[in-house]
Amino acid sequence: MKVAIIAANGGLFDAYKVFNIATAAAATDAEVGIFFTFEGLNLIHKQAYKQLPLPEGKEHFQEGFQKANVPSIEELVSMAQEMGVKLIACQMTMDVMSLEKEHFVEGIEVGGAASFLNFAKDANVTLSF
Amino acid sequence: MSITANYVLDAKGLACPMPIVKTKKAMTELLPGQVIEIQATDKGSTADLKAWAETTGNQYLGTIEEGITLKHYLRKASENEVKLERTYSDVVSLNELLTKIEGNEKITVLDVREPAEYAFGHIPGAKSIPLGELEQRLNELNQEDEIHIICRSGSRSDLAAKQLSKKGFKIIKNVVSGMKDWTGPVETENN
Repeated sequence: MKVAIIAANGGLFDAYKVFNIATAAAATDAEVGIFFTFEGLNLIHKQAYKQLPLPEGKEHFQEGFQKANVPSIEELVSMAQEMGVKLIACQMTMDVMSLEKEHFVEGIEVGGAASFLNFAKDANVTLSF
Repeated sequence: MSITANYVLDAKGLACPMPIVKTKKAMTELLPGQVIEIQATDKGSTADLKAWAETTGNQYLGTIEEGITLKHYLRKASENEVKLERTYSDVVSLNELLTKIEGNEKITVLDVREPAEYAFGHIPGAKSIPLGELEQRLNELNQEDEIHIICRSGSRSDLAAKQLSKKGFKIIKNVVSGMKDWTGPVETENN
């Protein structure tokens, strides 16, 4: 199985949607690639991914996350990488936002739309968050 | 009911997708054919582990609820069984076996699957000796009996049939395919 995911939003909810599916897929022996673009870049940004915002008015869910013992995004990202999930940051958005590869977690790749399409062309599951 | 597992994974208190991720890791510690017990409190874990097993080709045996703890049992896929090379020629079909049982014929049904597989459903009255223990437990069987050996798919029972006939057992039948296609009566260990 091959799973291709586009992460285009930068909130905490978005991060969980992306990384829960990605780690579950990787644990199911799938080849997984995530393309981070626009605000989605926050999800792998060294500082930003430690304190991703909850949607406005939904801040009270913070408690629920703790109660349900949900792993942190940092943990999920390192788990995903450990299981071979490919993380691709979008070069064009990085240029627009003046971001460099060093601003992101170790082990990511940087590529353009064509690199993601090349990965996704034979994917069984394609998701966009 | 108490079920023997080769490996116990504690995933209690963990939310999705952690039980799956931990299971995946733990599975690498198991040998093919071994059984893992996964303890979880995530209510979605039953459906998830069933689906996970199906996608990865492992075998989901069943789940026992103990208070808020769910104990899931999975058996790691074995390559031999996928290949399905049967060489023992004296075989009987599931229907033939069912007819014999319904006719109250004097036969012994020997189930050579793992104890956990047996616990979640076996032919009433079947004797459980896992393939790996057969050599040491031959004295529990009678050489003169008509012994029908069954497993899940017919591969382990094939090996067991060859072992027993080499040891001088008179009438040994391999039941094919196996419990995975059995539609006759079944009992579980807790009833």
